[in-house]
Amino acid sequence: MSGYDSALSIFSPDGHVFQVEYASEAVKRGTCAVGVKGKECVVLGCEKRTTLKLQDPRITPSKICKIDKHALLAFAGLNADARILVDKARVEAQSHRLTLEDSVTIEYLTKYIAGVQQKYTQSGGVRPFGIATIIAGFDSNDTVPKLYQTEPSGVYNAWKAHAIGRSSKTVKEFLEKNYVDELSDEETIKLTVKSLLEVVQTGAKNIEISVLKAGDVIKQLTVDEIKTYVDEIESEKAAEAEKKKPKSKD
Amino acid sequence: MDVVLGIRLKDCTLIATSKSVTRGISVLKEDDDKTRILNEHNLIAFTGEAGDTVQFAEYIQANIQLYSMRENDIELSPKATASFVRNQLATSLRTRKPYQVNVLIGGFDTKTGKPTLNYIDYIGTQAILPYAAHGYAAFYCMSLLDKHYRPEMELNDGLKLLEMSIKELQTRMPMDFKGVIVKVIDKEGIRKIDV
Amino acid sequence: MSRRYDSRTTIFSPEGRLYQVEYAQEAISQAGTAIGILTTEGVVLACEKKITSKLLDNDGTAEKLYIINDSMIAAVAGMTSDASILVNNARVYGQQYLKTYNESVPCEMLIKKICDIKQGYTQHGGLRPFGVSFIYAGYDDRYEFQLFTSNPSGNYSGWKATSIGANNSAAQTLLKKDYKDDLTLKQGCELAIKILSKTMDSSNLNSEKVEFATLSKGKDGKIIRKIWSDKDIDLLIKETGVLDAKDDE
Repeated sequence: MSGYDSALSIFSPDGHVFQVEYASEAVKRGTCAVGVKGKECVVLGCEKRTTLKLQDPRITPSKICKIDKHALLAFAGLNADARILVDKARVEAQSHRLTLEDSVTIEYLTKYIAGVQQKYTQSGGVRPFGIATIIAGFDSNDTVPKLYQTEPSGVYNAWKAHAIGRSSKTVKEFLEKNYVDELSDEETIKLTVKSLLEVVQTGAKNIEISVLKAGDVIKQLTVDEIKTYVDEIESEKAAEAEKKKPKSKD
Repeated sequence: MDVVLGIRLKDCTLIATSKSVTRGISVLKEDDDKTRILNEHNLIAFTGEAGDTVQFAEYIQANIQLYSMRENDIELSPKATASFVRNQLATSLRTRKPYQVNVLIGGFDTKTGKPTLNYIDYIGTQAILPYAAHGYAAFYCMSLLDKHYRPEMELNDGLKLLEMSIKELQTRMPMDFKGVIVKVIDKEGIRKIDV
Repeated sequence: MSRRYDSRTTIFSPEGRLYQVEYAQEAISQAGTAIGILTTEGVVLACEKKITSKLLDNDGTAEKLYIINDSMIAAVAGMTSDASILVNNARVYGQQYLKTYNESVPCEMLIKKICDIKQGYTQHGGLRPFGVSFIYAGYDDRYEFQLFTSNPSGNYSGWKATSIGANNSAAQTLLKKDYKDDLTLKQGCELAIKILSKTMDSSNLNSEKVEFATLSKGKDGKIIRKIWSDKDIDLLIKETGVLDAKDDE
């Protein structure tokens, strides 16, 4: 403890704002979330903690939240913090509709959320939000899929595909290697599931997937639907391994 | 002199609102929609002080939508929606410049499977009614509705009754309200009906 | 100006943890146990009373069970003084919701509200987090009977059976072993007593050391919230036969 990490957000002599960096550590401790952009859709996926035997399956708060009819947000980090931030975003989305008649653009929404996060790194007596978010959706009168990410510091970026949270580095590397432009809906979902499988060992029951399409279409995949993707991916992997085997023998 | 009329039928609620917008002695517009969709099964129809009406209805709309977002698409029931609106009007009444808005809320309760019609005025009177109207429409149509209304009416009979009411208004009212927009709220949601 | 704030707020540790919150949770794990069990006919709440004295002269009101509104009861583990602040908030919110919407507040919504307050104290204001966990028993027309827990971090989750406070992992293990999806309310009560008798230090279980509440549905469809009297608790303990030390199962 040098003293520069105790008072909330001040620079240390070597230019760090420790609280913000520590908040990013909280994000890394959270479960993994992935977003992938296709040609006509955006897919959000996240790792779901196993519901314990005695947990009530009807009431498990999801990590993918609806902000407005056309926008979803997935997060990694502290659940309670996320609830607060998501609520602020929802209020802003409705208030934007009320004053401007139009729904928020995904970029505006991202900027707003990142702005709130930034404010909490530079105000008295508060700690930063311990969450990173992935925001996905479509602007009104538009069919171009949008995907953004925000960090506890308030930095935001647009991505073709991105991951946050636990082992997100592995997932990002996987996506970098395997992402191609103009993916079809099916391929996008499959890539999302596949990337999640890099860090989720337990298969479909620990994965959550939501698909967004233009015109306010949001679909949450059922466990069975996810399972078909998982099975497909696994059989492909097996086939590939099979193919490799005789070659290595030769 | 807007017309706002609502009739609750067997499986749905009908809401009719006049299409004219007037200011003084002039008609400004003849394709106005005096309703706003609150959520999948609730529609608000409004009349009153120009400006207040839309401002109020859209404010309510934003709040009801926000509720749906927060509750993961579980929507507010017609009863709760009406109570919320009443509460807002009653609160506003006690401020320096209250909203002068009267509304009807047509809804379908997906839990009980029943259509409902709520009447609320700017003073905060709320009543669940089989048929209701605000403004001049009330004077001309109540007797007709009293005589011909049956709770078990199907959509077609309801539309006929509505047609009678509109005709009466067209004959008796001193001004042209440019016809009505009719909307139906049933278990499928809200849709416009051409008449 | 800033002096007022930055004295000691909850802040991130280098590993991204919130120690203040974790310490609060630690404090709760030493408080009296509370158990909640969801059954087909209602919800059971049972708590262990830590302070017992012959000279204590309370009027029979429970100290760790709180009625929130017409359809919810909460059990507390941790600092009772903190709890009463939150319970008060919950009650006010419950009535506010009822006033605005003319419907009783959905359980999850009320719990979310309380948790938002708890979360606030982990992020700003320069104050310590709330040192309480709750178990909520509730009923609403969305999911009928429900059981929730919430902790100082502001997280909440839904359960079929759960426990908080001292020995909660032991209680949890016992619940996992004995819980069935088709329990009746009576069986739920017996299970709660049985588990309390095993997790509590004292061998002699009686109404002085236990508080008990149930949420159930009456014949007319009304929700019955019952905080049990000492007499009823003693009777239940006797009927369950936990004092006879022999396990009847």
